[in-house]
Amino acid sequence: MGEKFRNAATLTAVDGISFECAPGRVFGLLGPNGAGKTTTLRMVATMLKPSAGEISVAGFDTQAEPREVRSRIGFMTAQTALYDRLTPAEMVKYMADLYGIENDRFQKRKEELFRVLGISTFASRRIGRLSSGMKQKTSIARTLIHDPEVMVFDEPTSGLDVMTSRAIINLIRSCKDEGKTVLFSTHRMGEVKLLCDDIAIIHEGKLYFNGTLEEFEAQMTQESFEDEFIHLVGEA
Amino acid sequence: MCWMKIFAKELKDTLRDRRTIMMMIVMPVVMIPLLITVVVKIQVSQVERAQENQLRIAFIGGAHAPELLTLFQRDDGFFIVETVPEDTAVAMTAGEELDGVVVVPESFPATIAQDRQGEIRIIFKSSEAYGVARSKLEDVIEAFSRQIVTDRIARFNLDENLFDAISIQKTDISSAQEKLAEAAGGWLPYLFVIFSFMGAMYPGLDLGAGEKERGTLETLLSSPASRLEIVVGKFLVVMLAGIATALIAMMGVYLTVQQFPEIPSDVFDIIMDMLGPKMILMIFSLLLPVTAFFAAVILGLSIYARSFKEAQSIITPLNIAIIFPAIIGTLPGIELNAKTALVPILNVSLATKDMLAGTVNPLYLTEVYASLFLLAGMSIFWCVKWFNREETLFRN
Repeated sequence: MGEKFRNAATLTAVDGISFECAPGRVFGLLGPNGAGKTTTLRMVATMLKPSAGEISVAGFDTQAEPREVRSRIGFMTAQTALYDRLTPAEMVKYMADLYGIENDRFQKRKEELFRVLGISTFASRRIGRLSSGMKQKTSIARTLIHDPEVMVFDEPTSGLDVMTSRAIINLIRSCKDEGKTVLFSTHRMGEVKLLCDDIAIIHEGKLYFNGTLEEFEAQMTQESFEDEFIHLVGEA
Repeated sequence: MCWMKIFAKELKDTLRDRRTIMMMIVMPVVMIPLLITVVVKIQVSQVERAQENQLRIAFIGGAHAPELLTLFQRDDGFFIVETVPEDTAVAMTAGEELDGVVVVPESFPATIAQDRQGEIRIIFKSSEAYGVARSKLEDVIEAFSRQIVTDRIARFNLDENLFDAISIQKTDISSAQEKLAEAAGGWLPYLFVIFSFMGAMYPGLDLGAGEKERGTLETLLSSPASRLEIVVGKFLVVMLAGIATALIAMMGVYLTVQQFPEIPSDVFDIIMDMLGPKMILMIFSLLLPVTAFFAAVILGLSIYARSFKEAQSIITPLNIAIIFPAIIGTLPGIELNAKTALVPILNVSLATKDMLAGTVNPLYLTEVYASLFLLAGMSIFWCVKWFNREETLFRN
């Protein structure tokens, strides 16, 4: 896939990268800021159209059947991305409506998520008045309400405190355990070691490595992950 | 039917926004009637007070026109300060210690005695008390002048008609409704146009730039809702807010009119008729495409902005672009014709004026509707295209 932005000068954000993420595995997209991670994930989630190449999500082509793709993806970033004037219950219901979830299925799913995440106690309070932890839980619930096959996380722990980051890490693990395909971007090497089964390293829109974590470790010439990463992209 | 879900959610969200409620309900219903009532009542009472107030004037040269001095002295509206030199009197008038000065020159009696035109000077400040001093001074001097002319006519045994060759018989065939429409028809649509824009502005800012700033735009774009459905849902809420605000403003005007018991009952009936359901429906039909145009432009620009603040700085100056044609519509002499019917906003102003007067030309009105609906359609098309551009949505 590739993506060009028409700007003052045309910028090639992603240049001919290719990778595959499997169900029940966590795929980490690694790269420094400006590497093209967000652009890649937005193309996967059909928010951006690639200027060349093709992407298939859960068997559906992102350009030919974008609605089918979106209905199978749960997209989450570090921002809670919630509406302050709605309550958690209203927020989750809104997303469920957009995903076309039938009322019976929605009620069951909502009860389950609210119980697991402990949202019920503040489900009727306006989101603007909630703590950042409560907001993050609401954000998780709205991402999972349609039980997506594919989870896309764009730097999900960036700027979050330790407790909230841990909740996201646990969420990624549980998604893997449930057999979902997990694609997440990060520039934190620690998270990669902790979570990933497969990784891709991109820098300035180009792919530098694509394989399993074990394969990456096996070909390392430097002592640490960070050093190996810098060594790899530094050679560019 | 995602657009309906988006519409319902955005409407709920918007109605919970205090800024929108302030702009939509509090401003037109409370502030406008309050402001108009207070300003008009203060102005009326000030004019009345200025009329009733006794004017302090200096009369210089009273000995040269004793009859005129007597006329002023008999009038309760004046207090005469006689023993002041002219220079001092002028300075006192400038310093507002006096309201005016009447100066009768020494040559005045001789000139009048020769049956020629005498000269009397009055000194006043037109900037004070709505220029009442000037008109009151002139009234007394003109009465004195008429008295002299009457004496001359009698002395020469002449007919009064000799000096009044023509008597103009005035017949005004404008109906009260037409006269009222000419006076009020300009600012009424002006008010509605401004309010529909202002009412649409805050929801437009919030549903575009606000959504981007909160980071919820990505959430929405990652849902199965298509871009078209998202735009339609948001656009309808922004348009509804604009129309609702304009309708609430109409209610505000209705309430304001009730605050003036001094309005004669026949005029009051006409005003009530003008603000009746039929007329409101007609004005509404004009407001509908105009507000659609506003909503599409505001939403399009709002989604382009990186932040709420940037959107505000782009959209707020548009107020002036809206006000300008609306003000032109209030000017006398600007009529609805084949050309003005094509100028957006101005055509609404002029068509409303004619509708209120009951004299609207159906051909021009059709032209107004056609141009407005075309404009609305084009702006909606632009908004949808604009919303589909990746460079617009992900500008930041």
